[in-house]
Formats: sequence, C-alpha cells, structure tokens
Amino acid sequence: MIRLTEVDGIPAVVARTGGPTHAGLVFRVGIADEPLARRGITHLVEHLVLGRPSAGHHRNGATGVEHTYFHTQGTADEITAFLEGVCAVLRDPPADRIAEAAEALHAESAGRGRDRLPMWRYGARDFGMASYPEWGLDRITGEDLHDWIGRFFTRENAALWVAGDGPAESLRLDLRSGVRQAPPAPSAAPPGAPAWFAGDSDMVGWDTVVRREARAAVFANVLERQMFRDLRLRGGISDQVRTEYEPRAAGSARITAYADSLPGRREAVLGGMVDVLAGMRAGRIDDEDVATVVGLTCDGLKHAESRGGRLPGQAFNLLAGRGVQGIGEVLAEVRAVTAADVAEVAADAYREGLLMTPEGTAADWAGYAAAPVSSGPVVSGRAYRGRKDRALRLIHGDEGVSVITGDATATVRYDTCAALLAWPDGGRHLVGEDAIVAKVEPTLFRGAEEVVRDLDQRFPGALRVVMPARDPSAVPAPVAGRPWWRRET
Amino acid sequence: MLRAMSHPSDVVFDPAAAYPDIPVLTAALARRDWSACRALLDSVSPADRTSLIRTAGDEKDLEGFLREVLRKDPRDGAASALLGFHLIYLGWEIRTAAWAKDVTPEQWAGFRDHLCQAEQALIDASAYDRSDAAVWTARLLAARGLSLGSAESRRRYDRLSAAVPHHLPGQMELAWGLEPKWFGSWEELHEFARDSALAAPPGSPHGLLLAEAFFARYTTADNDAERGSLLHDQRMRNDLYRVAEHSVLHPEFRRDYGWVRAANTFAAYFALVQDQPNTARMFGVLGNLAVADPWSHQEADAAVRIRQARTWAFGGAR
Repeated sequence: MIRLTEVDGIPAVVARTGGPTHAGLVFRVGIADEPLARRGITHLVEHLVLGRPSAGHHRNGATGVEHTYFHTQGTADEITAFLEGVCAVLRDPPADRIAEAAEALHAESAGRGRDRLPMWRYGARDFGMASYPEWGLDRITGEDLHDWIGRFFTRENAALWVAGDGPAESLRLDLRSGVRQAPPAPSAAPPGAPAWFAGDSDMVGWDTVVRREARAAVFANVLERQMFRDLRLRGGISDQVRTEYEPRAAGSARITAYADSLPGRREAVLGGMVDVLAGMRAGRIDDEDVATVVGLTCDGLKHAESRGGRLPGQAFNLLAGRGVQGIGEVLAEVRAVTAADVAEVAADAYREGLLMTPEGTAADWAGYAAAPVSSGPVVSGRAYRGRKDRALRLIHGDEGVSVITGDATATVRYDTCAALLAWPDGGRHLVGEDAIVAKVEPTLFRGAEEVVRDLDQRFPGALRVVMPARDPSAVPAPVAGRPWWRRET
Repeated sequence: MLRAMSHPSDVVFDPAAAYPDIPVLTAALARRDWSACRALLDSVSPADRTSLIRTAGDEKDLEGFLREVLRKDPRDGAASALLGFHLIYLGWEIRTAAWAKDVTPEQWAGFRDHLCQAEQALIDASAYDRSDAAVWTARLLAARGLSLGSAESRRRYDRLSAAVPHHLPGQMELAWGLEPKWFGSWEELHEFARDSALAAPPGSPHGLLLAEAFFARYTTADNDAERGSLLHDQRMRNDLYRVAEHSVLHPEFRRDYGWVRAANTFAAYFALVQDQPNTARMFGVLGNLAVADPWSHQEADAAVRIRQARTWAFGGAR
C-alpha cells in the first residue's frame, strides 16, 4: 500500500515493504532538457553530488532522459544523512571539482555505444539528445552549474520515495526554490513514417512512439518473444534480441527493439525483423504469448510492490501531475490486455516506426521511406571549391552554410544551429537542430580559412563546443573526385 | 498447346502439353474469373500451384485486376503471389535482359520500383500466412532482383522449407541464386542441388536440380579443356548417377511437377556421357515432350539435337 505524504513541501510516496529500507530523491530533469552545447551537464551534477563511491554504503544515482535521481539503501539514519547530503551539495555545488568530474565522465563514456535512433527521429534537440556524446562537459563553468541547478534541482521540481517506515521526523530537504519544469515536448518526427536509415553496425534497431498504456508495454514484450523465435531460435541469424518499453512523462511511451546479427547474416536479420514487424502489424499475435507476458508482468509488479520497486515510478508520476496508482488498479489494467489490444498497438507502432538497418543495407524495398540525410535549400553566399574534387562545394552566406558533396547537400542555418564543434586544427562542424551536419574542413576547400574565422566570430560562446585535438589521420584529406565527364556507374 | 495440336510433332516444347492446367488458368485469368482461378489453384499440389502462378505471372495487364481481388480479400495468398510474380515480370520487362552496364538509369529505377512493389505485396502476404509456398518462392525471386544478399535468400528458403519441405519451384529459385554470377559458387550450388535431390522422396523429379546445376556450369565453361574436365570429374559423375537413381531412374519415378525438365535434362546428360541405355530410357519416359534447355537456347536447334540424340539412343546412327 503506497501512501502519499510531504517533506518540506516535497511530495513523497511511502510504502512499508518486506525488503531493506531504501529511499530516493528524483528531479524532473534529464538529458532531453540539455542543449547540445551543454550536453552532459545533468550527469555532471549527478556525479558531483554522489562524489566518489564510499565503501560499504549503497548509494547511487542515474541521469535519464527526463528524470534524474539519487538513491540509497540503509538504516533510517543513513537514509536521512544521504538525502541531506544530496541537498547540501545541490545548495552549494563544488565548482572546483568540475574538471575532475568531467574527466571521470569522459572515461566512463569511452567505449559506450550510441543509440542512433533518437537523433534520426528528433534531431539535435530534446529527445534526440540521447544520441549525442557529452560534448558540453569541458566548458561548463561554476556559473552554468549554478544556473542549471537553480532551474531544475529545486524543491518544486522534486519528489521523494521511501520504502520502509517513512521519512524520519527530523529529515530536512533544504533545496533551492524554483518552479516545476514541464516535460520536454518532442520535436517533429521524420516525415512519412515508417522510415528507415542505415546504421553503422551489424545490428538492426527499431523504435516507435505510442500511447503510454499497459497494452503497449505488453506489446513490447510480445514483440521480443516473436523476435526471439524468428531471429534466434528458428532463424539462427541473431544471438541477442531485446525490446524495451520506456514510458514518458507526457503520456507517450517509446518502444525500442534491437537484434544483433551472427557473422554474415546482417541482411537476414533485417529481412527477419521486417517480417516480424509486418506479421504483428497484420494482427498475427499469439494468444499464448500475450497470456505469458501478462502473467510475467503481473508477477513482476507484485514482486516490485513487495520490495518498494514501484515507488520510483510513482514518484516520477507525481512530478508529471499524476496521482498514485495502486497495485490492484495496475494489475487489473494488465490482466485486461487481449491479443486484439496488442494487435491494435502493433498497427499504430508500425506506422510510427523508425528502422535502423545494419550497415550497408537499405529498407526501401520493404516499404519504408528513407529518413532525410540532407537538408533544406542551399544558402546563398560565396562558393568555395573543393580541393581536387570538383563535385565538392562549400557555400558560406549571411544565413548559414551549405556543403555540397555530389548529390547530397548539408545546410545549417545560423538561426537553427545547435552547436559549432571546433577543433584546434581549424575543422568546424555546424550541427543543425535537425541533426544535419555541415562540415567545414579547411583542408578540403580552397580559402575556407576565412569561413572558419567568420564562424568563430558568430559563435563565440554558448553554442561553441571545443573538441580535443584530432589525430592527424582523422583530419580529412582531399581526395580526387570522379572526373566530371565520366558518368557514374 | 495449339502449336502441338495443329502441328503434330515428334518434339513438343509447349509446356501446356505436359501441364494442361496452364491454359485452363490463363483462360480463367483472361476472363477475369478469380473464383475459377482459385478453384484450380486450390485443387493442385503446392509445387503445381507455385509453378502455375509463376507461369501465369507473365500474362499481360494483371495488376489492376489482382489489386482489386486483394482489396476485397487482402489475405488471398494466391492473388498476392500472382501479383508479386507479375510485378517482377513487369520489372524485368523494363530492365530487359541486357548486360547490367547497358541498362539505363531510368530502366534501373523502373525495375527496382516494380520489384519493391512486388516485395511489399509479398511481405503482406507472408505476414498473413507464413506457410504459403508460392509467396516464399516469389520472395526468393524478388530477393535476387533486389540484391538482398545470400543470407536473406537463405532465410527465405529456410522459411519455405519449414512450411513446405522439398518445394521444387523454390529450390530451383535458390539454386539460381547459388550460381557464381549471383551470390554463390559452383561448389555451393552442387552441394545444395545434390543434397536436396537426395533428401526428396524416392522417385521425385528433384534430381533435375543437380542435372541443371551441371549444365549451368558446363555451358558457361570457358573452353573445351574445362568442359572435358567437368565431364570426366569422377565425383561429379558419381553424384549425378546417385541422384538419377534416386530420381529419374528410380522405378517409382512419378510425373510430378518438373518431371519433363528432369527427364529432359538427364537425357541430355546421359547423351553427353554416351550412356546409350539411360538416354533411351529418358526418351522413353518423355515420349514427344521436350524442353529446349540444355540442348540449345533455340527451339529449332534444340529439336535437331534432340532428334539426333533420340535416334542414336534408340539404336540408330548419331
């Protein structure tokens, strides 16, 4: 039984549970709130708050897409000390530790895979941020930190959960005052969904956005079972398949599906995935799968209820203005899901789907529209010719920059530029809000140094991302293009 | 059929002579009588059904009619498979059989567009029913034209075999893809053809897979030396005879779909290796029925060679 209370004006959900006592403090802020040039700032706050892990004490945190939380497990006194410690750091963040923390975060992110689907769906903004590296870490100042915390890590933007007897009488959550931050609004989806783009690995990926409801969560798990049967058991073409259901604060949910491919089987993984999705869209949903998933989901919910595992989700809900949902209500919703419900979700999910094909493959043949890889009209301005390659052009104007390579154009307008990446060797990449990148490489264009100077003047501050020096081999070198008189074959 | 009837001949190439259902189906299609088409297609074996659908896909102007049939019943697998084969046929009409380097960009675009449309109709069909052998066979053909790769063709073939084992029209489709000019090699083709033929029930026409694989290689060999070594390759010969004994030479050899091509191709092989009794046996099975391949690409030329071989086999001079 979850009850609602309040600590220092912060709403709290409390449940007496069978397991160890634990508690967490969550804020309505995540990477979807970050501008590209400050990408990583929320994670940095989390890291500064938790500091170095201390032995023998369970304490952790997580920076998510929409929520960031700090969590601990221990005695009532330990919990009180932890939560008050979190608030103390947020009151007075240690600006002198920023550089050290940024370095630790860089090390942590090295080798981490990138989820490329978000940027293709949303661009270099809000929910697309999950695709980007933490580019902002190196330029965050004490003032930036102070402003970010003042906007998001406030009393009005927090919720608490406690599993156990409830918060101690003495607990004080001394946070700065601010306003509740609405969840970020997702920007436009790619046109003509279902859409596809080519990934850069052996993996096939897919995501979709549907209404947040029990039957959508059941669909995600039924999809995984179908993928497991078709791609792994029966097909022997994939080793790992997984799906995930991520509810969002504003009432939608993202569903993702991934399957890797065994060596030499990437086209088969793609073909198999296309067929799995088409089969579910056509309403081929196995009743037994639905019954199994419903059963497992209910078991999981009951277990979570007994350990306080539903509390974080309920605290997230408080921040979204939703009431507490009792376990009985949740179980009834899940148990009511039928194969017909799942088929309905499948049809909606298919329509909104974005497919990431394995490297070197395409999905036009399966009826998916190509997600745009180039953008808007070419700006007017001065043209710079490619060195050696006549098909290469850089256009630099008062409104933006266009880079033309063969038949693809990348245009970024200054007024919709999300970041300017600047390398010490002179390379400048303008990243548009639509995730299109215009690469200004002085090594590739005659006379482009003056474009670099202009861009540096236009973007001296907030949007500028200073990149570490590139290995000389990573600096693009001019390559002779095809002679213009020879047709492409 | 008409040709065979109006000019009685000792060498009959018209497939309708061996498979009288072909003109029945094309006539029903010509009068746009889909229930008659379905009545016929639902009454024959899966191999005959696939083969009839594939043959009928080359008829003119079917697209509008079939889309209307599918609008009323999107789950009609026969209509989807026929639409798929027909769109692939239309795509190849645009592309033409020219060398890839001589195909214009417009032709490529029209070709690919038709194959994509075919594939999408077929994806829907296999979404509704994963066990339709004609749909999977059409998807094997589409996969090749769309260059979807060997792994995807293999996946489609695995799906087909899981639904309908030993489906000869689909096996022939994969065998095409296993030729080196697509995505395979002669060794892969040989192994697949031999193993599939031996796995089929005794007396079935599946031996034709290996006989055709042999001729695919033999007729594209660069020179006489290469052809000679193929002919004298002991493993090749052993496999061909083993397969023949399981198929065309088996006492229970049945006149199932593919039997004319099987006996015809083995007749050509036995004639090539100077095996007179078995050549005679094949001609005995065939009667006046024949297929131009592998004798020649021209029917007139093939007829001459067939008559020669037949005379020799039955004891005359060559």
